[in-house]
Amino acid sequence: MVDLLLAQSAFPEAMSQGVLAHYLFVSAAMFTLGLVGFLTRRNLIIMFLCTEMMFQAAGLALVAFSRYHLNYDGQTFVIFVLTVAAAEAALALALVVFLFRKRDSLSAEAWSELKG
Amino acid sequence: MPSLLHILILMPLLFAVLIALAPSKQARAIAAIGSLVPIGPMLVALWKFDWANGGDLHFVSSYNWITDLGLRLGVGVDSVSLLLIALTVLLGPICVFGSFSAVKDNPKVFYGWLTGLQAAMIGVFAATDLVVFYICFEFTLLPLYVLINLYGSSNRKRAATKFFLYTFTGSIIALAGLVYVVFHHRGIEGDWTFDIATLTSTAMGMPVEAQALVLLALMLGFAVKVPLFPVHTWLPLAHTEAPTAGSVILAGVLLKLGTFGIYRFVLGFVPEAVIAYAPLIAVLSIIGIIYAGLICWVQKDVKKLVAYSSVSHLGFCVLGLVALNNVGLTGSVLYMINHGLSTGALFLCIGMVYERFHTRSMDELGGLASTMPIWSSFMVFFVMASVGLPGLNGFVSEFMCIIGTFQSSPAWVLEGRAGAAGGSLGPWFAFAAGFGVIVAAMYLLYMTGRVVWGTPKHPAGHDDDHSELPTDLNKREISLLTVLAIGCLGLGVYPTPVIEAIEPSVERTLAPYQDLLQAHAAEVGVRHEAASEEHSEPHAESHEGGH
Amino acid sequence: MSMMPALTTLLAAADGPFIAGGTAPAWVGLMAGLPLLGAALCVVCACLNVKSKAPGYLTVGLLAGGFVTALAAFMGGSDSDSYGVATIFRWIHASIGAGSEASITANIGYYMDGLSMLWMLFVTGLATVIGLYSTEYVEHDKGLGYCRFFFAFNLFVFSMSSLVMADNLLLLFLGWEGVGLCSYLLIGYFYKKPEAVAAAKKAFIMNRIGDLGLLMAIGATFVVFGTIEFRPLFEFIRDGVDANGNAIAHTWVVVVIPLLFTAGAFGKSAQIFLYTWLPDAMEGPTPVSALIHAATMVTAGVYLVARMYPLYAADEAHIALSVIAWSGAITAFWAAAIAFAQYDIKRIMGYSTISQLGYMFAGLGVMTTTGAVFHVLTHAFFKATLFLCCGAVMHGFAGQLDMRKLSGVGSIAGFKITAIAMLIGCLNLAGLAGTAGYFSKDMILAEAFVTPGEVIFLPWAVGLLMLLTAFMTAYYTFRVFFRVFVGPVKYEAGDDHHGDAEEEHAAEDAHGHGHDDHGFHPHAPRFAMNAAIALLAIGSIAAIPLYFINAEDHGWAGSMVHESTAAFAAPEVHHDDHGEHGEPHAMLSADVVPVSLGAAPEGDGEAAHHGDNLGLGLDPHKAMYVVSGIIGVFGIGLAAFFHGPKGLGGLFIGNRTDTGSPRMDAVARYFGPLPRLAERKFMIDELYDTIIVKPLLVFSHIFHAFDKLVIDGLVDLFGSLPRWLGSLLRPSQDGMLHGYATGMVAGSAVLLLLVVLVALL
Repeated sequence: MVDLLLAQSAFPEAMSQGVLAHYLFVSAAMFTLGLVGFLTRRNLIIMFLCTEMMFQAAGLALVAFSRYHLNYDGQTFVIFVLTVAAAEAALALALVVFLFRKRDSLSAEAWSELKG
Repeated sequence: MPSLLHILILMPLLFAVLIALAPSKQARAIAAIGSLVPIGPMLVALWKFDWANGGDLHFVSSYNWITDLGLRLGVGVDSVSLLLIALTVLLGPICVFGSFSAVKDNPKVFYGWLTGLQAAMIGVFAATDLVVFYICFEFTLLPLYVLINLYGSSNRKRAATKFFLYTFTGSIIALAGLVYVVFHHRGIEGDWTFDIATLTSTAMGMPVEAQALVLLALMLGFAVKVPLFPVHTWLPLAHTEAPTAGSVILAGVLLKLGTFGIYRFVLGFVPEAVIAYAPLIAVLSIIGIIYAGLICWVQKDVKKLVAYSSVSHLGFCVLGLVALNNVGLTGSVLYMINHGLSTGALFLCIGMVYERFHTRSMDELGGLASTMPIWSSFMVFFVMASVGLPGLNGFVSEFMCIIGTFQSSPAWVLEGRAGAAGGSLGPWFAFAAGFGVIVAAMYLLYMTGRVVWGTPKHPAGHDDDHSELPTDLNKREISLLTVLAIGCLGLGVYPTPVIEAIEPSVERTLAPYQDLLQAHAAEVGVRHEAASEEHSEPHAESHEGGH
Repeated sequence: MSMMPALTTLLAAADGPFIAGGTAPAWVGLMAGLPLLGAALCVVCACLNVKSKAPGYLTVGLLAGGFVTALAAFMGGSDSDSYGVATIFRWIHASIGAGSEASITANIGYYMDGLSMLWMLFVTGLATVIGLYSTEYVEHDKGLGYCRFFFAFNLFVFSMSSLVMADNLLLLFLGWEGVGLCSYLLIGYFYKKPEAVAAAKKAFIMNRIGDLGLLMAIGATFVVFGTIEFRPLFEFIRDGVDANGNAIAHTWVVVVIPLLFTAGAFGKSAQIFLYTWLPDAMEGPTPVSALIHAATMVTAGVYLVARMYPLYAADEAHIALSVIAWSGAITAFWAAAIAFAQYDIKRIMGYSTISQLGYMFAGLGVMTTTGAVFHVLTHAFFKATLFLCCGAVMHGFAGQLDMRKLSGVGSIAGFKITAIAMLIGCLNLAGLAGTAGYFSKDMILAEAFVTPGEVIFLPWAVGLLMLLTAFMTAYYTFRVFFRVFVGPVKYEAGDDHHGDAEEEHAAEDAHGHGHDDHGFHPHAPRFAMNAAIALLAIGSIAAIPLYFINAEDHGWAGSMVHESTAAFAAPEVHHDDHGEHGEPHAMLSADVVPVSLGAAPEGDGEAAHHGDNLGLGLDPHKAMYVVSGIIGVFGIGLAAFFHGPKGLGGLFIGNRTDTGSPRMDAVARYFGPLPRLAERKFMIDELYDTIIVKPLLVFSHIFHAFDKLVIDGLVDLFGSLPRWLGSLLRPSQDGMLHGYATGMVAGSAVLLLLVVLVALL
């Protein structure tokens, strides 16, 4: 009963497969852009932004599926991800600043401490 | 129910913790007390022990640990374990007092681990549960690793790593064998147990092929510890690099864990396989005896010489074990104790010289009889004990191991010779091993001739002002060596009580062997007769030669 | 003892070995206990840093106590059955289990019978006298060295007593190795001399080679008889059975076990193959050479064989006895040949000891235990005398032992007693008719010619070899005497550090010229040394009547031997003049050794022996009296001709005027390289070094390298496998962020591809 009520109020109807495909295309495009950006750019901030982009792509796909399946879980998860990503962004940017101060460069190639 | 053994195990552990907590300056004193105090309970244990029934477990105590797996914290000793515990407890203060002048930096770590090691070693001998045994067995590695790694000579890091990895690999393989036995028990009885006595009774029922596998696994593990011929190379390195106390403990007790393991588990668990493979093990022992002995002969480093001599000596010990008769086994157990005393003393002697001259090379040392008469007297004494001079301890056990091997010819057993007993070896094995006695005289007297006798040399590395030690031994050192010398002399002159103490345990170990050995002898006889019939020899006279 | 009725003795002999049945009093243990106490007291003296001669006098006192004990035991033995076993305490006891009754039991217990009694008498007696001599001999070393010397000396007497009186093979082995240790410690007494250290080591190791044989013999004895205690053991052997009641004749038991015992005996007594340690052992102080390497320890091998004699005799083919006889004779000859060409007088004595030991073994081999034992006894006295005299010379001339540098020592003041004693000793060793050495040697020689060929392989050849040796012995012995003790007084001080050379050396240096004889004054022996030398010389003369008392037993030694396990083949069974004694012979033949001795038919023994003698139609002993007497005189005469000085000192045939011997030098040329080779001891040491020691050393080095490279190398290889694998994969970790990212993407792509492929297929 509750499920039904909730369903009626929040999701009047499920998304069609065609619409889902549009969302997923956008998500995939974003992810690919992010991935390519991450692999090709050397600037730490750009690379970080690219990872954020991939994050959002995944989030978009989750939300889309959530809507398609009429299930809250995906939505909830995305909220979590966004929150964590915000915190992570703060931390990551702080690290980038720190690294920049150490090497006076934003290039990822300045760091190879883990070389075996 | 707490037992005396708990006190013996926990007391050193407690002192180790105390040393860790106390200020560094007090470490030495606490260690000294901590090494002396366990002698009390040990004497009580020796006194309370019912020697007539030495084969039974005494001071038994067992607590449930992990009930579902049948794991119990069980302790208990028979006469052999108790004697080895007594050796451990005796060598404790020798090591601690022997390190007073040698260990200067960071005494806390040194004495702490040394004292902790005592607990582990006593635990090995006292355990009645496989898991307790194994935990203690492996725990002995860690303290010695630390001792060698931090307080050893120049190449100590490599020696410590090698020692740890080598013996650890061996014990892991042994663990596999032990676990197999446990699974076998579960397969038959349907319950989990790690109780050694229970496992011994079920393990004997294993098919011969399985026994052979278990024998292989256990022997691989324990042979590394002994160490037996091809897997011995960690020992010279570890001995040479270890601090004196480490060497004493290593030679005195830790090597005995291997022979004790063979005695308790290999002989106990897989009798049929042991009978089948005894000649092979004996051959390895004999090769080790002579091979290591000859290597000793060309050493320049005194400590390395004594280290290799341990390989040679322990060969006798294993040989006595696989003779599979009372005399051999008793001699072997006695050998464990005797070797601990005399070789421990030799390491101590060498350590004392090293502290004074900072060298162990025979090229640099020489003629110490003129400058250090007291040390030289002790050295000659312990060399003679090690050579196996009758009247000192080494002889009794060496003789018993050789005679045990000699009499264990299947042909003689079949003939019912009055003095024949056990095994699948024979006079040729004993004869070959006997060459070890000659070789022992060669290398030990070679060392004595170079270090003790001859014209005095003044090693270059000797700087008097650095050392507060007198030229010859001081009172502390004399009393340490005197204690060991009394032990050597006492066990040489009047070994009967110890032999009689060991015998009940040995008899129990050998009880399952009687019928098997008779059958084995008969089988060998049949094979022999078949062979001689083939060659159509009417009088198989070589029969009596005992092959 | 001398009052013992002959018949009892003979019957005992005829029944087989005499087995001491009673219980000996425990105080016989004092013979071993007092020296042990002495050793302990010497340790105490060393701890207290005693710098006087106290340890020496203490030792002599205690050893004298031991001798008195031996005498008391001997006197007690004559009128009661106190020959027996005295058990002190249980030393080793190990049951062999498996439901067997047998156990390795070795008590500290003493088996007293004629043989051990005889040995103990001369061991304790000689030890006391030589101890007295030593108090003066090592006086330069007062303090720790003095204590060390007398500690080892005492310990030696203890070990020797244990060896001789042991009631089981293991205690015998204790004594056996114990004397080896003391020999080691005493040869190496001058431990700063590398030769002494090497000699000590060599002695110990070569003895150990023999000891391996003894150890195996003990093992085999135990396996067969189930005991190593003498009394039950000899009861089995007397009955000719092993512990299971099976006959031992015709089995390996009576061949292999005796041969193993023989190996042990040869090591200790420096016989064939194993003799090279004894000449080197002369590096030790002279009293030690006298006591250990001449009189007592080296006769332990003879004792062992005599003790185990029933086992040897139980073999009908007498393989072991043949081996002993031949080895003994060959060793006797060989050592005499080397002694021929030596110049070091002490070494000559050393070689002559080997040679005389060869005689003793040959005596055992040709079945005259009495002869062998009597020769041990006489040899102990005269050889100890000779050594002590050599020691006196050495002591007096700063370690000079080279006969080319000494002459006319007897004419120097203070050396009179030495010279007279030396003469007595030399006459004994040379076997001049009428001396004790002559009688004892004669017994062995004669027996070699009467022992039938069925018993021993070619016994007459053994005898001939020994006769030749007897001649050589007479020659080389008097070569020493004529060159060193008589003739013009000429000497050169020694320059090495034998004994207390340093003192003289210091005096010499003070004069400012190192090798000048005129600055050097010989250092004549004083009271203790003279007394000891005189006592021993008297002892060698006093041994003569021993041959004549108890004549029916062939002397006192025979009567002692007859009351021991060595009685088995005592010579009276070979040739008795009385019919009643033929019977025991027959019993012996029938019961125990049916063929061997029975080869001479019952009652016909006399004829058989006489037919086998030298063909002079005489009793073989009487014939041998003549032959060996002539040979001895001839040898001495030859020595006088070559080495004697002009005048009576050279028996009027010598012409030596200086230290050299021109006649000998002239003759030696005709022998080609032989004298040179003999002087170099036929290079046997070098041979051993080349064929045994060097290869063994090479092997050891190879083993060492093998251990380090191959065995440890394999271990390290195994250990380095993970490291090697890791280094292969290492480049993939370049530390660049993009590298890792690309890798990750590529990996995911591959995974994805796989998933897609799997889904499609």
